[in-house]
Amino acid sequence: MAVIHSNVDAAANEEQVLASKTKLSDLWKTEDWQAVWIGFIIIAIGAVGVITGAFDFSAAKFSTWGNGNSLLEQLTAGFWGKLVLTAVVLGVLFTVGNALRGVSAKKYVPAFAGLFALAILVRLISAEYTFNRYLEWAFFALAVGLIIANTVKVPEWLKPAVQTEFYIKAGLVIMGFSVLFSNIINFGLYGLGIAWIVTPVVIIFMWFFGTRVLKIENKPLVITLATATSVCGTSAAIATGAASKAKKTDLSLAVSISIIFTVIMMVFEPIIIRAVGLGEVLGGALIGGTVDSTGAVTVAGTALGETAQTVAVLVKSIQNILIGFIAFAVAIFFTTRVEKKSASENKVSAAEIWYRLPKFIIGFFVASLIASFVFQPVVGADAVGSINKVLDQYKNWAFVLAFTSIGLDTNFREIKEQFQGGKPLILYIVGQLFNIVLTFIAVYILLSGKFFPLPNLVIG
Amino acid sequence: MRKISKIIVGIIVAVTLVTALYIMINGLGLIDSLDFGAGAYYYADIPGFEKFVNGNAYTSSTPMWVLIALFLIWGALMYKLWVWLDKRQTPKN
Repeated sequence: MAVIHSNVDAAANEEQVLASKTKLSDLWKTEDWQAVWIGFIIIAIGAVGVITGAFDFSAAKFSTWGNGNSLLEQLTAGFWGKLVLTAVVLGVLFTVGNALRGVSAKKYVPAFAGLFALAILVRLISAEYTFNRYLEWAFFALAVGLIIANTVKVPEWLKPAVQTEFYIKAGLVIMGFSVLFSNIINFGLYGLGIAWIVTPVVIIFMWFFGTRVLKIENKPLVITLATATSVCGTSAAIATGAASKAKKTDLSLAVSISIIFTVIMMVFEPIIIRAVGLGEVLGGALIGGTVDSTGAVTVAGTALGETAQTVAVLVKSIQNILIGFIAFAVAIFFTTRVEKKSASENKVSAAEIWYRLPKFIIGFFVASLIASFVFQPVVGADAVGSINKVLDQYKNWAFVLAFTSIGLDTNFREIKEQFQGGKPLILYIVGQLFNIVLTFIAVYILLSGKFFPLPNLVIG
Repeated sequence: MRKISKIIVGIIVAVTLVTALYIMINGLGLIDSLDFGAGAYYYADIPGFEKFVNGNAYTSSTPMWVLIALFLIWGALMYKLWVWLDKRQTPKN
């Protein structure tokens, strides 16, 4: 009885400690909550601009240049205006956030200007015709940052702006608005069966293969790689990496592996599918379920044909909406299972879960719910699509700032150590092969016409 | 054994990088009409994505609430399975 009493007392004391750890001022002083407000401010301004038509809030974007497309022609007054707008909007919001956390604005503003200049360079390089189609900004942001950090070294004045997590969290909240639940109906039960039955099974398989078989002790790296493989590459890696509090090098390694293999799969998967005579519907669905990034899915599907392109994009669009749920589940799992103080700590209290839970995940999830169940029914799918076109570039700029920061904050030795004798690579390859086999089984059962009627697709 | 696995991983890394470089140098797999590729990460990046959604490519006979219910049920089941397996494999002190 005394033991029970002491346990109850201990739990009550813990609740009190947690309650005192959580303060109202967290809402404006912690990085997580600030990221939520920054995301929602940008979403709100973007939505008002599109719905009222009163102003254009679009951020700057470099169009593809090279291969006959002039770079200079796109540098119009309109482009420069948007670039200034982007720098001012992000600069002001991130500076206010830093000031509220006690970082000197005097030091942060010039540092942000320097980082933003590097981000412009990254986006300029990644808009080149060939680079744009294979690697894009995440790769070049890491490369530019790494080259500076490992050659001329990062100057002291730039360091206050190197805040990877802050930019990632804000970018994720903005991205949440584009995660629309209405996409779940895009391919009915076929899409749900292919995208949703397979994905969590692959994640669980890769989790246990990574942590138990390969004995990788870095669990955030395992889950980041698992979701990059099974959901949608870079964006899934960013979301779950942040949800599991992965280190910057975990994220850069997972994204690099995913991007390199996506290039290879984008080219070879359609060739192999055609060689084995799988057909456009089955082949397109297999591509949609297994190729990591959405752009590569579209390209690989198109290589097979118009029907394959449609099926591939439909399947992938459903996988895209999984990001929010999976990031949320990963945050809860890491809070309750991985970050436990000891193995004997069987139950984590609700207050403890709330305290440990990354709050920006809530912002990401709420943004998705608002877009899906408030905006879409009220203003329509087209208006939400237009708002997302505006928000998309703010999200990309925030992620470019984040990935450039990762590069600036990493040395080559850390990357080598992170490679752990190739274990993450083995995890990716085995997980991807498992993903391909399982997706093929699901695709065959649902779309071969032997078990279920074939879907009526409208092509073109 | 460790040396052999190191050699195998080294070969995999080399083959992967050489293949990716070969693809990029030779412009393999690109579709001229699509101004994006492996680096475009999200569906919002796809120009003309609207033609695939809102019933334009496929009209589902299953109501959305059924799909959402199935989605949530399967997700909850898989999460429970993940936690259950993790508990079984975590050594108790």
